[in-house]
Amino acid sequence: MTSRMVCGLGTEEAVHFSSLPDTRFGKMDSLLRAQPTARPDRDELRRLLDAEEIPRFSKASIGERRKTGDLLRIQPALPTGFTEFDAVLPGGGWPVGAITELMPEARGIGELSLLLPALVQLSHAGRYLAWIAPPCLPYPPALEWHGLALDRLLLVRAPDARAVLWATEQALRCPAIGAVLAWPATLDDRHVRRLQLAAEAGGSCGLLYRPPEAVRQHSPAALRLRLKAHDAGLHIEIHKARGGRAHALVVHPAAAACA
Amino acid sequence: MLWLCILLPPLAPDALETLALWAMQWSSQVSRRVDADGAATLWLEIGASRQLFGDHDALRVHVATGLAQLGYAHQLGIAPTPQGAALLARAGIASAALTRAQLLQRLEPLPLALLALPGEQLAALHSAGLRRIGELLALPAASIARRFGPDASRYLQRLSGAAHEPLRYVRPPARFDNRCEFDEAITDTTALLFPLRRLLAGLEGFLRARDRAVQRYTLRLEHRHGATTRLVIGLARPSRDALQLQSLARERLAATTLTTPVHGLGVEAHELAQPLLQQGELFACAAQHSEQLQQVLDRLAARLGAGAVQALDSVAEHRPERAWHMHAAQLAAPATLPITLPDDAARALRAAAMAPERPCWLLPEPQPIDMPRLLLAGPERIESGWWDGADVARDYYLARGAHGARLWVFRDLRSGAWYVHGLWA
Repeated sequence: MTSRMVCGLGTEEAVHFSSLPDTRFGKMDSLLRAQPTARPDRDELRRLLDAEEIPRFSKASIGERRKTGDLLRIQPALPTGFTEFDAVLPGGGWPVGAITELMPEARGIGELSLLLPALVQLSHAGRYLAWIAPPCLPYPPALEWHGLALDRLLLVRAPDARAVLWATEQALRCPAIGAVLAWPATLDDRHVRRLQLAAEAGGSCGLLYRPPEAVRQHSPAALRLRLKAHDAGLHIEIHKARGGRAHALVVHPAAAACA
Repeated sequence: MLWLCILLPPLAPDALETLALWAMQWSSQVSRRVDADGAATLWLEIGASRQLFGDHDALRVHVATGLAQLGYAHQLGIAPTPQGAALLARAGIASAALTRAQLLQRLEPLPLALLALPGEQLAALHSAGLRRIGELLALPAASIARRFGPDASRYLQRLSGAAHEPLRYVRPPARFDNRCEFDEAITDTTALLFPLRRLLAGLEGFLRARDRAVQRYTLRLEHRHGATTRLVIGLARPSRDALQLQSLARERLAATTLTTPVHGLGVEAHELAQPLLQQGELFACAAQHSEQLQQVLDRLAARLGAGAVQALDSVAEHRPERAWHMHAAQLAAPATLPITLPDDAARALRAAAMAPERPCWLLPEPQPIDMPRLLLAGPERIESGWWDGADVARDYYLARGAHGARLWVFRDLRSGAWYVHGLWA
């Protein structure tokens, strides 16, 4: 084979995914969205901008956003199941079609229970959940106790850091998968950007668990959270929220053990 | 009848065979011929398939695009006779001749040199003062036969459609097993992708012609020395889409290291499955989701191994380490409509089951620890399994670990030793 023939490949993957029809959200999913997915009408936008609870932009930042057109892109979101948390998140929930980074101080502080209400809703709406390289076994009796539809859960094992990223990207690009949870061993901002693009393409919620030190790294993720154990629940510090602002609060995941 | 003729440069016999199968996706009547100089010709009868694929122009574009993607230089012609289509292709006339009258009209001004006749006969025609095909076709057939021989006369009759062209059609084999050979040994799997694409294009044509799909196919990497490497590519659902088949093979090849150079590549598909029929409108969305998910599952399995994607179940069993089950992920039936359980109903179900709450993370093995200083809740006694020899007698507690982590710990009632078994994540 001549090298000329080998050239011209490589774009196939892109073609493959970009050729997917755009009707990727089922009817059920639209019920799960706090915000319209595409082109909110003017009134809706004005209502959002005028609403008392969302004056999160300084005048300067609005000017900047107008320039980039960012203001007009309302972030679709998936309600977290914690009213007080939704209230401080831009869009009112976990960003959809974007990456969220969770940086728990330790394992076993409620870092998974925080996601479960949203995951339970997705699973009952028929969307799949992909968990890529979790550090322990997601314990089925516990997930069932929370109400998760186990037949929607896909557990992906990957042999090395590269494979974890690759599998995460593949899962994010799939519109049938509503949320992708991944525990990558290493990650830099280029990786996050790549995953961010994949999440945009697939319209899914990308949730990355990262070590607490990662907070010092720059990241293009839409939402970055530091999580700490708290006597009465889980302490969340919003380190970065695209279109929002830093904030801290305590939530109480539904678990007797956390009460 | 309407014929599409594809003129191709000299091809290896294997390659022409694969290409003929590829062409069968458009026509059940495909004929191939190799000239003395090696140049290859394919004829497809497209009169019957015009309704299926749009008009002949749309079909010509399909075929031309396909050939270009497969990297084959080609010329196409469409006419009511095979020889007529070939002549138009040689002349580079793209517009189709749909009737014999249109064909004769197009042939008329063309030079005699385009006729598929031996050089000496062309010279004889030239010395008889003939220059254009129209002039020759105007002569009576008997006169042509007398002056230029019966072969020339027969050829001209077939060209104009006055006589029938006997063609042998390619018959799709019972199973697909095609290969290609490389002049130079290949040491990098990415160099296999392009020849593989041609083979899989042949497979797609073959499957469409036979109205079948594959759930599994084999890549055969042939080495000059040593045994052939066989890679079996599995799909969770039958497919005949060459792009999909190729993307799986690509992942598989990327994960394969070549220890010896490859001299030949083969694709085998022995087990043919029924293609999946289009789902009804009602389930279109669910079906589409399941199709997309299927593709991802296949890709993950191709790159990471068949067991890479697992699903979980819970098992009614007291011993925590046995209260779950892992198995290879399978798609939920695509036609299943999503079930929505209102929160209250879900809670009621839980209450009815009276299941105790469990931690979200379970450690693969209980880890020995010192006796925890702070026990927050418990104990829950679990004594079970005396009948199968793996009996346990434990008291489970909720304990506090470093950074406020909530640990699921137990004391082994027989040894008195403490272990962590899970985390309340």
